[in-house]
Amino acid sequence: MSRYAMVTDLRRCVGCEACTVACSAEWNVPPGHGRTRVHRTPVTGTFPHLRASTFVAQCNHCDRPPCLDACPSGATFRTDDGIVHVDRDLCVGCGYCVAACPYDARFIDPVARKADKCDFCAARLARGQQPACVTTCTAGAKHFGDLEDPASDVYRMVYLEGARRIETAEVAVGPNVYYLGRPEQLALVAASFAPRRPRLPAAGEAWRRLAIPLVAAAVAATFAGQAIAFFNQLRKGEEDFEG
Amino acid sequence: MKAEAIPAVPDPITAEQARAMSQRRLKKHHVAIVIVHWFNAVTWLLELATGAGLVVSRHFRVAPAWFTALVEGVFGTRANMLRFHEALGLAWIVVFLVYASFGWRTYLRAEVMHREMGLDRNDWRWLAVRAARLVGRSREALPPQGSYNAGQKLFGWLVYTMVPLVMATGVVMTFRLIGPAVVGWAIPIHFAAVGAVLAGLMVHVYMGAVFPEEKSAFFSMVSGTVDELYAYNHHFTWWREMKLAEREWMRRHDREAEGAVAAPVPDADEPGGTESPD
Repeated sequence: MSRYAMVTDLRRCVGCEACTVACSAEWNVPPGHGRTRVHRTPVTGTFPHLRASTFVAQCNHCDRPPCLDACPSGATFRTDDGIVHVDRDLCVGCGYCVAACPYDARFIDPVARKADKCDFCAARLARGQQPACVTTCTAGAKHFGDLEDPASDVYRMVYLEGARRIETAEVAVGPNVYYLGRPEQLALVAASFAPRRPRLPAAGEAWRRLAIPLVAAAVAATFAGQAIAFFNQLRKGEEDFEG
Repeated sequence: MKAEAIPAVPDPITAEQARAMSQRRLKKHHVAIVIVHWFNAVTWLLELATGAGLVVSRHFRVAPAWFTALVEGVFGTRANMLRFHEALGLAWIVVFLVYASFGWRTYLRAEVMHREMGLDRNDWRWLAVRAARLVGRSREALPPQGSYNAGQKLFGWLVYTMVPLVMATGVVMTFRLIGPAVVGWAIPIHFAAVGAVLAGLMVHVYMGAVFPEEKSAFFSMVSGTVDELYAYNHHFTWWREMKLAEREWMRRHDREAEGAVAAPVPDADEPGGTESPD
């Protein structure tokens, strides 16, 4: 079984957004949103020793994706190859997953009003093609492949060249998008685009912490009352029944 | 026909009276109500099963994994199950809109008003005695009740307040209206409203299907009628209303019949219409 991963070599990325355009064209992503986006870190240091980097963000297809449990209907699911998918037929557009993603890689498609995000171009993979962003990348900064395959680029970059995940001690959910770069560049990127804590919207919290316990208590109380009444009825028989 | 005295309070009756009353039927439910009741029952069962089967997230699931797997197996995919849940829910809303708009004048107004009438002192007393009797703490007679007893009225309140919420939030989710924040809130509201009805529904089903004293109420949802003995014992106030209305109808009918017979004979003595029809 494959274990897919993406490696972006930030030393080669020039921030041209060709990946964003290719992705949006491939998947009809509405304007204003993106399955992949190019960000820039703030410029740090003092002249002439300035430092900055581009950063390519997308769904990280985490090993332990917080969006999975946040999705009530299981529209978000993870296949054995590591890809986290959104089943649009099951999505009701509640937006819980958007709040849950520590990388803010998800959005609600304003046209379909359903959740959308990168799926490593699963449909292209099925046709034997590489993801659109990888084939388009002008600088050859994006690499995609199977971490189980020692002959793959991503295997070499992750296990031999030290491509790293962007995660923190607090939020370590096993992202499968890795980054290569100069150490100070990676440190800057990691500091600028560190994952935030996953969260549930207030509605989800109210459902989970309030509605479910209250309903459970009400149903259990009713059930207990009925059990008492029923055993009472059995014990008494139907002698009192008058019609 | 022999005029019967209609008692003002539920006096004890003789065995012979009881047997005679158990043979006579009173109409309790319009046939439309009977049909809609069972349509509603089947819909609730299917919507509860598919609704519980749809929520599989570890955070929110209420049904065990074997149950969600079972329901999913029936529908093939969970996406099919969602489509079914939405389609049946919409059909349910349409049926109730049609039912409410066509039936309102003919039979629903009286029914709903009866059901939704404020609970009077008798009703609150009835609830206290009923609860005590259910757990075997009392043998006190239940205070007389109208067409719907206080328990049914409380359930009526619950249903009439919660069902519009269930419908509205269902429509919001089905068509993903307004925005993700609204859809996000629609889910817990949908869940809580259904849960509140479910707690009441359990009592409703228990009373109708299991509890021996209310057996006639269950069968009245098939035939539309109850026997007079049950009505006398369980819905005395309603029984009395029905008997008074029946006597009034018989008087008027007899007067009209006498009038029709009397008309061609102008010099026949009119009794004045105060006579009871015997």
